[in-house]
Amino acid sequence: MLAPTLFILFITGFVPFLYVLVVSFFDWNTFAQNPEPQFAGVNNFRRLVFDEAFLKSVGLTLKFTFFVLVSQLVIGFALAKLMMRNFPLKGLFRTVHTLPLMIAPIAVGATWRLMTVPGLGPIPHFMGKWFDISYVLSRFPDQAFATVVIMDIWHWTPLVTLTLLAGLSNVPEEPLEQARIDGAREWRIFWDITLPFLKPVLLTTIFIRLMDALRTVDEVWMLTGGGPGAATRFIGLYIWKIVFPKTDYGYGSAMSVLTLYMTIVLCWLLYVAMTGMKENKK
Amino acid sequence: MIKRLLASTALTLAMGGAACADFWSDASTEYKGVTIRGISESTPPSNYVRDVLAPAFTEATGIVVELETTSWDQMFDKAIKDMEANSGIYDFVYVEQDIIYSYLARDFLVDVTAALDANPDLKAPDFSFEDFTTFIDNFRGDNGDIFGIPMEAFIKVYLYRKDLFEDPEHQAAFKEKYGYDLAPAVTFDQWRDNAEYFSELDPNDQLWGTTVQASSGHVASFYEFFESIAPTFGLYDWGINVEKGAASVEKGGSMNSETAKKALAFWISLLDYAPPEATSSTWDEVASTFAAGRAAQGWVYGENAAWIATNSEKSSVVGKVGVTLPPVADGVMEAAEAGEGYIGYYDGGAFSIPHSSRNKEAALLWLQYIGQPSVQADWAVAGSRVVHQATYDDPKVQAQDAKADGYYTLMKDKGYLFKGAPEYPFHAQVRETVAPFIYEAIIGQLDPSEALDKAAAAADAEMKQLGYGQ
Repeated sequence: MLAPTLFILFITGFVPFLYVLVVSFFDWNTFAQNPEPQFAGVNNFRRLVFDEAFLKSVGLTLKFTFFVLVSQLVIGFALAKLMMRNFPLKGLFRTVHTLPLMIAPIAVGATWRLMTVPGLGPIPHFMGKWFDISYVLSRFPDQAFATVVIMDIWHWTPLVTLTLLAGLSNVPEEPLEQARIDGAREWRIFWDITLPFLKPVLLTTIFIRLMDALRTVDEVWMLTGGGPGAATRFIGLYIWKIVFPKTDYGYGSAMSVLTLYMTIVLCWLLYVAMTGMKENKK
Repeated sequence: MIKRLLASTALTLAMGGAACADFWSDASTEYKGVTIRGISESTPPSNYVRDVLAPAFTEATGIVVELETTSWDQMFDKAIKDMEANSGIYDFVYVEQDIIYSYLARDFLVDVTAALDANPDLKAPDFSFEDFTTFIDNFRGDNGDIFGIPMEAFIKVYLYRKDLFEDPEHQAAFKEKYGYDLAPAVTFDQWRDNAEYFSELDPNDQLWGTTVQASSGHVASFYEFFESIAPTFGLYDWGINVEKGAASVEKGGSMNSETAKKALAFWISLLDYAPPEATSSTWDEVASTFAAGRAAQGWVYGENAAWIATNSEKSSVVGKVGVTLPPVADGVMEAAEAGEGYIGYYDGGAFSIPHSSRNKEAALLWLQYIGQPSVQADWAVAGSRVVHQATYDDPKVQAQDAKADGYYTLMKDKGYLFKGAPEYPFHAQVRETVAPFIYEAIIGQLDPSEALDKAAAAADAEMKQLGYGQ
């Protein structure tokens, strides 16, 4: 019964991966003097180690991932806790809060771009009017990076909220009530009871968002195109530039393989760190 | 205005169509109902093809034309992928005059001359390669055959606000401040003075001194610097010595020469007088900025000159536009006159048929249809592009020329001073390598000298990697 599914997974998942892996060992640029693939061993991977632009993109991507992940977890958890309570217009709030999730990343990027165009968008207008800040994304790298982080937080925090809300809804009431009767502080209750119950959901959420953040392309491409300079040129964008405009397929494939490896290692480290905490506690 | 233009276009096409009705109808008998698909950049000339020429061709032949007009990046990306994969999605593609050498090296394109010779029944009586300007020579292969039918050609000119430059109050104030007459710039210092003067005028920041096509994340900035600014200082062909496969001065190129550094420093300095959108501006935004009346002068692609100068629905500076040649350094004009240099960018492109096309014969008919003399004048009026020599003498074009301050005459008389991008098969690869350093210079992370030193070294390495360098 599983055979068709496994076959489709093999064709759509494993074969392309194998293809990229094989190509990563070749020098292959269709506009080179010799446009045919030439076996290059590990030369493409060696080039990566000395490629300042690539290393800069890796650093930027990790920085971006750290900021969005931490922010989304903190804000998402706060909103999930808020939604565990009853308050007026809660249904409306939950719907509005979830709306960004329904928008395609490319549309999110386009919307934010319109909002940030100097002389047209509301953000530069009000930044100038209220804070006397000259807000020009294409000129100031820090503004561009911060805006990209904020855009991602706006777009994906609702996902974190929803998953954590599901997790919080499944935390049993009895141990919480017992702890309160025993006089435990809210912080201890959170650390010793809520968090352990949330851990599977938290781990899944972190993995999903970590992988998404590491391979983010479309909304950043639309908003900044990776600029100004290289301020928002994350790994995904850099790979795109290498593979498509530069048509350097071998080198781009090597970058993709390394990025996949990096993503797996980061996820594994996180998994060990989070499950290790539990082991240590025992 | 637009209604009249469309009506006269329809009339012209109908008359032209009637004259050759038998040919188009007979030649397309086998292909009626066929759909041919093409891709081009969304520009005034391409939009005219999509909106006017394609429906007219369908009416004459029964062949449906679907033209996808998209962004410049997407256009190349999609066309190259289609041709590489031999997927046959597109039956005709836009080929810019500077990328055709890469395409020919990869044998992507059908030899149009040979295809017409092999299919005499498909040869339109009204179509002749002889009608085209010398721009068509850009689309010849090594055998001298034509691989693309030119559909647009224009020069990047110096546009300025005539109303501002001719205003007596501004003239007096400028003379008092700078000690000489306000006029369109013939030197770089004058350009900067003009820019400074106008940028300091409006307290509400709605008028700036100059446009700068200085996107800090798009290759448009690379192109403005290397193809419009650097040549006016005397740096040609991106500073690459193709024989030596070198860009850096150390290896025999001139990308990081003192001339190049001086040119980049000048161009970057103009950002102080440019509107805030300058650092996100490609060719489209520069045209929009000028049309919105936000800049007193600028280097603007000629394909936009006509609508900026005449279309009051899209432009707020109708009747206020002056057109002239850009300023040049000492000796550059003389070098251009002698054919040893050039003073700016001559841009244009053709429609070509990829080998991957599944409808080559129908596409061949289509390419001849857009290359007929009868469709040229209205197209030139709408898109300020000229590819036939006779188009310049058409009354409609001459009338438009008068409204556009002589843009067409300037192109006719001085077009030879301009040049397209160099014929490099590694065009996109070196461009993508060098552009990030230009971006960093624009945002001030690198000074112009450092940026060009790094760019030249990176270009050397890239050419070596591709097998063209030392």
